[in-house]
Amino acid sequence: MAKRSSALKKLIDTLPDPDERGLLSSIDKQTVDDVVAQIHEGGRRSLLALVNMLVEPGAGDDVKARYALHCLAVHVCKLDNERTRGAFARTLASQVGGDRPKAVQKYLMQQLQVAGGKEVVPALGKMLLDEQLFESSAMALTAIGDGAAEQFRKGLPKSSGKMKLTIIQNLGVLRDTGSVRQLKAALEDQDREIRLAAGWALANVGDSGSVDLLLRAAKTRDTYERIKATKACLLLAERLAAAGMKQTAVKIYEHLRDTRKGSDEAYVCDAASEGLAKVGQR
Amino acid sequence: MPKTKSVTRRQFLKGSAGAAAAFTIVPRHVLGGANNTPPSEVFGAALIGCGGRGNGTFGAMGLEAKKLAICDVKFVGREDNKTIYTDFRRVLERKDIDVVAIATPPHWHALISIAAMEAGKDVLCEKPMTRFIAEGRAVAEAEKRYKRIFQVGTFGRFGKSRDRKSIEIHKIMASGLLKKCEGVHIKSGGLKVKQWSGMVNAQPQPIPKSLDWDMYCGPSPLRPYHRHRHGGTHRGYWDYEGGGLADMGQHHYDPVQWVYAKDDTSPVEIEAYAPPAHPEACGMWGWVELKYADGMTFVFDSREWPVNGQPSYDRKEPREVRLSDLREADQREIKEMPDPEPLVSFAEAVKTRKRAGGNADVANRSATLMHLANIAIRTGRKLRYDPVAEEIIGDEEANRLVNPPMRAPWHL
Repeated sequence: MAKRSSALKKLIDTLPDPDERGLLSSIDKQTVDDVVAQIHEGGRRSLLALVNMLVEPGAGDDVKARYALHCLAVHVCKLDNERTRGAFARTLASQVGGDRPKAVQKYLMQQLQVAGGKEVVPALGKMLLDEQLFESSAMALTAIGDGAAEQFRKGLPKSSGKMKLTIIQNLGVLRDTGSVRQLKAALEDQDREIRLAAGWALANVGDSGSVDLLLRAAKTRDTYERIKATKACLLLAERLAAAGMKQTAVKIYEHLRDTRKGSDEAYVCDAASEGLAKVGQR
Repeated sequence: MPKTKSVTRRQFLKGSAGAAAAFTIVPRHVLGGANNTPPSEVFGAALIGCGGRGNGTFGAMGLEAKKLAICDVKFVGREDNKTIYTDFRRVLERKDIDVVAIATPPHWHALISIAAMEAGKDVLCEKPMTRFIAEGRAVAEAEKRYKRIFQVGTFGRFGKSRDRKSIEIHKIMASGLLKKCEGVHIKSGGLKVKQWSGMVNAQPQPIPKSLDWDMYCGPSPLRPYHRHRHGGTHRGYWDYEGGGLADMGQHHYDPVQWVYAKDDTSPVEIEAYAPPAHPEACGMWGWVELKYADGMTFVFDSREWPVNGQPSYDRKEPREVRLSDLREADQREIKEMPDPEPLVSFAEAVKTRKRAGGNADVANRSATLMHLANIAIRTGRKLRYDPVAEEIIGDEEANRLVNPPMRAPWHL
């Protein structure tokens, strides 16, 4: 292992050095491609040895190792070989959640956001409840998509604060119909950001059963919350109209048209009228 | 009998008690009636993002605008939440603000533009319009949903739209008469590739007390602070921009896109020649070739890599589209074709509610050129793009860069 690490270190050292400004301004493509290809040929052991070279920021010089690992992530995607990519991703995922420094684990998850697939979703899901890793985990999960919603749903009941907000938002991004009940409950949260995220998520999902809830949420006098909750109503109307539920969309548009009479919200009234025209109503 | 005049904003202020106190801007929705077009032309305005481009962007609005608020995440300790803010959301709550100039780093452009339009404001937003492709479509949707005015802060297309030669090319391309396009437009140099590269060895530094670093990072990953990631040099990081290509590319290619009548579409094949990209720091690259479905080709040639000062692209020569590319009968048709409608400036658009010449749809398309180019650089592979669905075809990992996830509470 020591011999392999030493050989790998020599190989990594052939990568370009940053210049005096910290930029990779003198970079030979062939050199980098060759280094990456050789690491890849070394298989799982080389990959693990490379991961072992990563340190926390400020704890040493791993500039070239970080660069090499990312180039490898891009390389395995280029090969267009599912088995190779999956093996790479599973190896990285096996190093997440253990004793490695959190900053290193974050970096590994960043690479999984590049090259990971469904095979690493459970490993990433476990990090959703880690105070320092939940954001990186969420970004990688949502980028992968396939199987991610289930992980977010599982994590939601155990989460709070920013973690909960992150999970709710990503359920909305994924348009997960399976989390509608939980999202509706979050509309009553004490935290304004969570309420707004839940409203937007329900709108993006296109849940027809949320119409009354979102219209009620948009009645708030808090200006910013009113703006965002109103947007959620308009977005829901668009989603419903696109899904063929025109009459339900009309309900939203008519409500907004009829209640936003103040001169400062005339533009909302106009938007609702425009929406009605698009679904064939006036 | 004196003719009755409609109340102008200035007359209102002269006659009102408010004039005895500080000068007051009356929002256009108060005086402007159903269409919100005020008889006078003084608009309540805010500047969000007060760095190097702030005042220039504000001035570029071309309106008689009173700057009622300035907002920047570096104003911690100075904010009074009356004229100086650190949180743009509080600015947008103000009913006396009609227009917003946005000069933050690009990773905030789309989100603040959308939020401003949701709050009923018109927007002039610095270029590049967006940090990634999906943002552009979201801004265009908000523009339509709320019927607000959006203009991106690059104006070369206005000059081109008055240039006879450019108008002729535009008519040829827009007519559909050119069955096989052999046009090649090459942007050679001037893209500040090295100048706007990022540091690969930046170590964490203490966060300045006057900077809200979490808010600065916003939708992008929360990284350890380093001064190179902020204040102009932010251009060198994928988290905030996309290097010199993203920063300068829209200036050059937005007018070219108009000339070649490509405002409603995007390239279908993109290929780059570049060394493997760093995950966080934008770096060196050679060229990117973008081909449209009709054969038109756009090229970025950095002239900085692999050899500084030398062209690195040698596949095709530049070639203009010419009238002589058409049959004679078609040439006559082009000559008889009316010129395109003049493009509407931001100021005129705000006043008349006509769509601005650099509106969100067209600006999204020109920003997409840069983003596709950068995706090709970052993935190291040839891409195929669907300009209708606005997705990369058959490359799921590359497609992740079309719409990367944002950090909560920020989302499109």
